[in-house]
Amino acid sequence: MKGFFEKYKYKLISACSFLFVLLVWQMVTDVFHLVSPVMLPSPAKILGTLWYKLTGGTVPDGSTLLENIWSSLKIALGGYGVGVLIGVPLGVGMAWSRKFELFAKPLFDIIRPVPALAWIPLMILWLGIGYASKVGIIFFAAFISATVNSYTGIRRTSQVHLWVGRTFGATNRQLLFKVAIPTALPMIFTGLRLALGSAWVALVAAEMLAATSGLGYMIQMARMLGRPDVIIVGMLTIGFVGLLLNTVLEKLQKKYVRRGKHHD
Amino acid sequence: MIDSTANSRFSDKQLIIIYTIISLLSLLAVWELAARFTSASMFLPPASQVLAAFCKSFVEPIGKRTMLAHIGVSLYRVAVAFFFATIAGIALGVGMGYSRLLEAVLKPIFEFIRPIPPLAWIPLSILWFGLGDTGKFFIIFLGCFCFITVNTYDGAKNVDPELIGAARMLGANERQVFFEIVLPSSVPYIFAGLQIAVTAGWSAVVGAEMIQSNEGVGWMIVRGMNTGNTVQIMVGIVAIGIVGFILANLTSALERRLCVWNEQKGM
Repeated sequence: MKGFFEKYKYKLISACSFLFVLLVWQMVTDVFHLVSPVMLPSPAKILGTLWYKLTGGTVPDGSTLLENIWSSLKIALGGYGVGVLIGVPLGVGMAWSRKFELFAKPLFDIIRPVPALAWIPLMILWLGIGYASKVGIIFFAAFISATVNSYTGIRRTSQVHLWVGRTFGATNRQLLFKVAIPTALPMIFTGLRLALGSAWVALVAAEMLAATSGLGYMIQMARMLGRPDVIIVGMLTIGFVGLLLNTVLEKLQKKYVRRGKHHD
Repeated sequence: MIDSTANSRFSDKQLIIIYTIISLLSLLAVWELAARFTSASMFLPPASQVLAAFCKSFVEPIGKRTMLAHIGVSLYRVAVAFFFATIAGIALGVGMGYSRLLEAVLKPIFEFIRPIPPLAWIPLSILWFGLGDTGKFFIIFLGCFCFITVNTYDGAKNVDPELIGAARMLGANERQVFFEIVLPSSVPYIFAGLQIAVTAGWSAVVGAEMIQSNEGVGWMIVRGMNTGNTVQIMVGIVAIGIVGFILANLTSALERRLCVWNEQKGM
């Protein structure tokens, strides 16, 4: 028994600490009423709301939790796909071809410091508040990390490997596809992961500003209607889905990219 | 580096400058022509108009303030939040990295909060702090804090154990190990965290101001959206981009100055 405690000492402390916070939270809200439920609902209330939204409750924003998740995911993955499809080749191209880099990098550098959120007003004005404008916003969020990481990855190709390839008569195309891109793959994958993270964050912001469904819309509606329990359920869902997306990509990276932990 | 188009007439630096000018000028030219002579003029104001409006915004107020004052308001919000985030983030990061007990107690709570994007806190922060500046400080604080903590924590965890062992062997006490070894060797990590945090903070202030504010650069672009004023949005985006660029480069210059021993590679 003593050995058990020694072995799991820190895990146990972690579990206790977490439960303790929940307990204090429950105490100050539902038991002693120190905090108004309008400011902070109790954990029990939040769990109840989560169950209600999961099992088909549509109040107060008109969709169930799963519908909101699906609606957000659809947009996030759409914009992410476009961003990656443009960003990765752009980064690879800029790193591989000097002429292309000289021309394209200044243009990329002036877009790069603008946070994706700042494009929201322009996109909404140009494309309306529907699917297209949000895909546009998320495109900007995803495309920058995808490009930067692909560029850096290709740039880190060892010069010696390229020389060896050239000595053995590899063409430029072979050098790119057989040497440089495989070298850069872990870095590109890290870029894809970062891009998905920023895409998800940008989506929440876009939905808070202009949407009729989705997780961002849900928490914004809940604020207007004074439902903090729904806000917190929404926040936790956003965090959880973000974490899940990241984990999926991490698993894929471990599985398909050798030496995946080499660059990070 | 990879295909070297060695050019005898121009040095590398000159070549970069020449191409930068060519590419930016051609962007402006395409933009200007498209806005003046094609149907894009419906939604795209000409580049010259945006540029003129940008210059004018420094003397003529947009809303209640001129451009510099809007930037000042936004920067002030970032600065306050960033200050507190730095203190809290470094303290928490080093603490969790150094003490296993502190790590066991605080990490689960931190990991629970971390995946929630700072902007998702906006509705709750409005309920808690109202519409004033406090709520914005809170959002930006969250935006910076997580990055600083994670990086500092990594730094404190990655201290070379041989260094600690050697110090202990030479009779250093707990306190000395902490202040003379753990803290200094985390500094490069802390700086990497601060650099990401500044960028994240700037993005968070734009987001926070867009959703709830009546001044600042985020307000400027949302106001432009609500009044259908594309020129104002573009002027705002230009300002946001320039300040973001300066902030990012300022921190990396500072890092190079202060952590000379730590050669960084990459883009």
